[in-house]
Order: sequence, then C-alpha cells, then structure tokens
Amino acid sequence: MENKSERISPAATEASVWLNDAEASRAALARGIKTPSWFFTSIGAAIAAQIGTTAVGLADPSPWTVAPLAAGMAALATVAGVQLARFRQLNGIWLGGLLSRVVLGTETLASVAYGVAFGGAIWAAFDTRWSLMISCSIIGGAAYALLGRRWLRAYRSAPARHARGESLAWLALITVAGLTGLALLLLNH
Amino acid sequence: MAELDAHVVAPARLKLMIMLTAVSEAEFSTVRDALKVSDSVLSKHLAALEGVNYAKRRKGVHRGRRTTWISLTPRGGKALQSHVAALRQLIGDVG
Repeated sequence: MENKSERISPAATEASVWLNDAEASRAALARGIKTPSWFFTSIGAAIAAQIGTTAVGLADPSPWTVAPLAAGMAALATVAGVQLARFRQLNGIWLGGLLSRVVLGTETLASVAYGVAFGGAIWAAFDTRWSLMISCSIIGGAAYALLGRRWLRAYRSAPARHARGESLAWLALITVAGLTGLALLLLNH
Repeated sequence: MAELDAHVVAPARLKLMIMLTAVSEAEFSTVRDALKVSDSVLSKHLAALEGVNYAKRRKGVHRGRRTTWISLTPRGGKALQSHVAALRQLIGDVG
C-alpha cells in the first residue's frame, strides 16, 4: 500500500532534477540499444528475395515458380523471426515498433517503397523484363533496410514516441490480408 | 490542471516508469541495471506499481533462463503523462 504520509509536493528544483534524471536514463537506455549483426541488411535481402520470387510466381504460376514464391515467404519469416529473437536476447528488451515499423514495414515511407518496388517487379515479370524485375527487388530491399536504420535513429531521438507499434491483432490482420490477397491473385491467374 | 500522483512521486518510481515508456517490455535485470538498484528495491517499486495497475510483469525466458519481463500498462502510461504534466507545471510556475 502507498504510504499516505509520503510527501507528494516536491519543490520545483527537486521536480526538475527528478524529471531530468529520469529522462536522461531513458535516453541512455535508448542510445544503448544495439541491433544484432547484419540486422537491417538481412531483412533488406529477405525482402528483396520475397519481392523477386513473388513477382516471378505471380507472372508465371507453375510448380516451378510457386515453390520459390513460398520459399521466399518462408525465408522472410525465418530471417525476421531469427533477427527479432537475437535483438531481444542481445538487449533484454522488446520494441513493438521494431516489429511493426521495420520488419512489417508499416511506417509510411517503407510501405510506399515496398509497394512501388513490388508493383514494379510484378509489372517487369509479366513483361519478362528480368533485369528490371531484379532491380526493383533489390531497390525494394535496399529501401527497406535504409528506412529501418532511419526508424532506429528516430527511436533513439524520441524513444517514447516510437517504442510501441501497432497492436499484435492489427499486425496479424494485415499479414493475413496480405497473404489472402496473394493467394487470390495466384488462384485467379 | 494536472495533479501529482502519489504512486509515481518517488524519484526511483518516476524513473522506472519513464524508462518503461521507451520499450514495449523489458527484462527485469535490464531495468535493474539501468536504474542501478538492487533486485529487492526494484521488486518493491514494481509491486507498488502493480498494486495500482500501472505496471505488469510476466514470466518468460532470457538467454535460456527463466526471467521476468516488465511493462507499463495503458493506465500506468496515462497516469505517468498526467504526473509529468503536473511536474512540468510545477517547474514552469516557479521558473
């Protein structure tokens, strides 16, 4: 139980010291957060592979292209899962923002970059312009990795604003909607 | 006008809650080390905050061993915002 006799009216100077000290500790915690080796690079590479394999699978659905499409998805899920587990183990903290903004790309620019790269790769694959399809995939992955680094810088400068991302239920809904859309595209092709 | 919250007014508790705003959840030893307090001191503050539903803890695993993960509740987040606003007002009124 709270001690009712506890003084709850600090002097302004005390209040200022307490607040500054607490905010400095939070800033130090945020600054001390490290990403595991190859974190952004591996996520970017997995995104590039997923864009490329999905574009090929959609342009020419056959057992030979649908298998790599599934493999691209599985690789992305595996890389993301492993890197997030490493992050949690390395830092002893969990950031919902890292999952939603960096890995699932719900940050606005990441969504736009992914959408443009994905759309470009699909168009190029339908038009059998393979070098353009590969370029779009690489650009999409690189943009994802760069925007992930940008998010981390934003987090470090304002941790309370960026620490938590969307709810897990919302993220699950987005993921299911994306996978359902992809399945429908494959079935209707 | 925002009011000071008796459950948050202790400097260590204020620091703990403000640090928890930087994470979704944190492992007990990470918070203890960041606050530079003992296990028992952190447990005491956590128990007080849990008592008013400002913080919660759950059992989990970290580096292969069982441990405790701590997070701020939505109620705790709102209480902290209000308390910090009151502190800023107090500082501003004098400054």
